[in-house]
Amino acid sequence: MRIRPIARGDLDGLQALSRQTGVGFTSLPDNREFLASKIESAARAFEERTPVDDRLYFFVLEDEDSGELAGCCAIEAQVGREVPFYHYRLGTLAHSSVQLDLHRTIDTLFLSSDHTGDAEVASLFLRPEYRGADRRHERNGALLSKARWLFMAQFRDRFPDKVLAEMRGVFNEEGVSPFWENLGSHFFPLNFNQADRLTGLGQKSFIGELMPKFPIYTTFLSKEAQACIGEVHEHTRPALEMLKKEGLRWEGYIDIFDAGPTVEAYIDDVRAVRNSTLCQVEVSAELATEAGGKNEGESGERPEWLVSTTAMVGFCACWVGRGPEGEVITLSETEARRLGVGAGDTVRVLST
Amino acid sequence: MLVVRPARSADLPALERLAGTATPRLTNLPAHRDRLEERITRSQRSFGRAVDFPGDEHYTFVLEDRERGEVVGTATIRAQAGAVDAYYTYRQETLIHASQQLNVRREVQTLSLSHEVSEASLLCALSLDPRYKGTSAESLLRRARLMFIAQYPERFADLLAVAFPGFLDEAGESPFWASVGEHFFQRGYQEINHIAGVRSKSFIAEVMPQFPLYLPLLTPPARAAIGREHPDHEVALEEMLAEGFVRSRHVDIFDAGPVIKGERDRLETFRRASWHPVRIRPASSLPDAEPAMIANQKLGEFRCVVARYALSPTGQLMLSPEHAEILGVEEGRAVLAAPLALPDAIDALDEGEL
Repeated sequence: MRIRPIARGDLDGLQALSRQTGVGFTSLPDNREFLASKIESAARAFEERTPVDDRLYFFVLEDEDSGELAGCCAIEAQVGREVPFYHYRLGTLAHSSVQLDLHRTIDTLFLSSDHTGDAEVASLFLRPEYRGADRRHERNGALLSKARWLFMAQFRDRFPDKVLAEMRGVFNEEGVSPFWENLGSHFFPLNFNQADRLTGLGQKSFIGELMPKFPIYTTFLSKEAQACIGEVHEHTRPALEMLKKEGLRWEGYIDIFDAGPTVEAYIDDVRAVRNSTLCQVEVSAELATEAGGKNEGESGERPEWLVSTTAMVGFCACWVGRGPEGEVITLSETEARRLGVGAGDTVRVLST
Repeated sequence: MLVVRPARSADLPALERLAGTATPRLTNLPAHRDRLEERITRSQRSFGRAVDFPGDEHYTFVLEDRERGEVVGTATIRAQAGAVDAYYTYRQETLIHASQQLNVRREVQTLSLSHEVSEASLLCALSLDPRYKGTSAESLLRRARLMFIAQYPERFADLLAVAFPGFLDEAGESPFWASVGEHFFQRGYQEINHIAGVRSKSFIAEVMPQFPLYLPLLTPPARAAIGREHPDHEVALEEMLAEGFVRSRHVDIFDAGPVIKGERDRLETFRRASWHPVRIRPASSLPDAEPAMIANQKLGEFRCVVARYALSPTGQLMLSPEHAEILGVEEGRAVLAAPLALPDAIDALDEGEL
């Protein structure tokens, strides 16, 4: 399994992925034209033919055995440049009067575009066939999530100071967001999925046009809606934990539709960015036989070391069976082939 | 025989009683002896002071039943609603949220804190003994203040305002307060109303949420209460609308009761009031005529009564010796008279606000 930039020949594979993502994954609609343009713009981003603030780096997880796409992930170089990017910022207003013996704080939601210009890690999807209990040891989800940090560390100058990730908010058994029902539905003549789909398609201007401009006192929302603020959907909890381990934190920003938290960090502070190092490649024919010709990292052992190449076009990342010794990392022939590197090349290595 | 006159120190027990029986309890008439005493003192100072333009004067009047020898009503004019501190209201506003992308246009109602009514003169703190409700005494008490303003225009603003008590449910609770203020104060409506009366309302208002409120986020009973008067004040509101007051976009910040506004020049009492020299005639020989409010022109000794609007062919107003005595006028002195009856009410929003 390896991560690589999406390529112009991946349209069928991407469409197959989009059909599996389902409701709630709005950035990959099953729309061939849209997907084709997404691929084209991603390809141009990796070729550095688009401005540095207007790039979507879209990656796929490829199963080289079958040639199938197992998943995808993306980095938006800077959000909010083409279309506005909104959050609610959860703020606190003191509400106090000595004479009335009153001292309370009131939570308020302020519409904000504070994250304009930040990078975003997004669109992570792993097909169910690659993530069941029997394949957990392969760490495909972690590969998708962490490869992006290696990419950002390698091309640090292409990214701004901060990075964020939006987490899916709470939905009840009927698939309804209590936060949306209590707030957004008063202002939008759409249901949640329609509104969410439009934002997924990048058509966000309606938000600024229809959303309340004044702060919302959360005390006016129902208890259920208030309970959604900053809380994630239970399926999103593992992804949130992974990001937290990298050092991303919730600073009070939430999604304006479902109130899910946005976590953020300075890119230089992200654990994987800070800890990854550059190493020289050595290739050993003996290692391949040791692993019995089976793909390393898929041999039943939980892989620990993540390696990526250092070129933007043809960027590649995968798990390897061992860490570096000094500034040298020894790869098996299979691993070297998978990454497209040879002895003497430089790679980026991360212990996870 | 009923007469409206300035309040005196001796009226304190009566004021206290009237404050206690007001339905609903009024913020600006707290049943609090010290506050009421201050109010009388302040009022006496205001009547006694030379005033060239409206400031922080309060003029408190009482309705006295001479036969009973009892004070049975009270009402006040604040020369400026917000003279020392600001007078807070919620202003109802409409924001258009339109999206070209979705081809939709939505009107969103908000309530914004406003100080706009601060400049107006405020007719307030009216309480009447329930035995007199529905009689001409009620109109006299309410509108004698207009007769006073008509005589001393320099003391008041061109714009007059009245804040009517807002809608309360059977339990005496305000659905509006329960949905708005209580979130911020955690105190019931009656309690906060009392605190506001004893201290000041703007004092509370300063701690109210400063950002506009979106109506869709309020409870339906709270929304329904906006601009709705207390059931016991429906008739009074109607009379003031007949007088020429109009509904405004402003509502009370506690209970969302309506604030009505009237330009002096457009009010019936001002338009129809006229001066007449007095002729004193025995009550038995007075011709039948429509009732009118009759006021003398003695600032500190202001008196206003309801009497027949009986004019002689030469335009003199014929008064009984009893009325002349109450008004403190002799034959030949001028009095101000205005018909008590009003045309039918027109319930309209201020055109200037449309």
